[in-house]
Amino acid sequence: MIKNKYNAITLVLGVLLFIFMKQIPAASLNDEERYINLTQQIRCLVCQNQNIQDSNASLAKDLRRKIYALILEKKSDQDIKNYLTKRYGDIILLKPRLNNLTFLLWFFPIIGMLILCYYLYNFFKSQPSTMLK
Amino acid sequence: MSMTQRIKTIFPFLLLLAVISLLAYELYQGKPPESLSNLIGESMPAFTVNNLYSKEPPLTNDYFQNEVVLLNVWASWCEACRLEHEMLMKISKQNLIPIYGLAYNDKESDAKQLLQTLGNPYKMVGIDNSGDLSIELGIYGTPETFIINRGNIVYKQIGPIDQKTWDKTLYPFIKKLK
Repeated sequence: MIKNKYNAITLVLGVLLFIFMKQIPAASLNDEERYINLTQQIRCLVCQNQNIQDSNASLAKDLRRKIYALILEKKSDQDIKNYLTKRYGDIILLKPRLNNLTFLLWFFPIIGMLILCYYLYNFFKSQPSTMLK
Repeated sequence: MSMTQRIKTIFPFLLLLAVISLLAYELYQGKPPESLSNLIGESMPAFTVNNLYSKEPPLTNDYFQNEVVLLNVWASWCEACRLEHEMLMKISKQNLIPIYGLAYNDKESDAKQLLQTLGNPYKMVGIDNSGDLSIELGIYGTPETFIINRGNIVYKQIGPIDQKTWDKTLYPFIKKLK
């Protein structure tokens, strides 16, 4: 009997915990995953370099709610990102999109490496090798 | 050493110097990145928000359809908005353009209090507590001011309007639209 009572209390506490732990109830597991994913990719504009999932700013809260609403409206991730960049510009995405403006940003490391390799190659070629002698 | 060889030796150092200068410039002189709204040229989204004075009719986009107006997004807790307020009062007294206000994330009593003490430059003030309309308009920091030409967003000013921005940018812009 006592054991049953404790079980019941545990169950009630468990349910309460479950209810309060979740900030926003998700419609489905898939939606929840998308919500978590998306809110990690969106920059909080008033506390830059934080994503809106980590931020407590009121703008971040509003944006989280908006993203949640858009997910429920069955908008795709791309639609949601387009919606946000339309209003806030590309900067709202933490990871810059690849386009002709950001081409250099994305590929400079590779281009730089190639230039470096070219110079190193020329440098060693012009040096007479002493190691092998 | 031949000339070309010399250039070849110096080039990587010049490149490095250029990169370092660029980084130093961005570090000390660069401006923080601004949100660039792409809403310019778009029509004002349809909306209805409560009037700050709840007995008066709600603020809707219908008021913006037939003339050139300013829509100023502000809040009583926002210091920059307080600084801007005097300028808005000045503009409203010129009777050149109606100013509509949108109180963002504000307490009704605080917003009313501010207008009572500093004066009310607005033809109508809506209040957006849910943040829905503000997101729709890409608001991220108050004050922000839109110039709306017959229902179309034609200009967005981020940050307070002072005498200089008014004289140099906003006033000539509005003059052209009229």
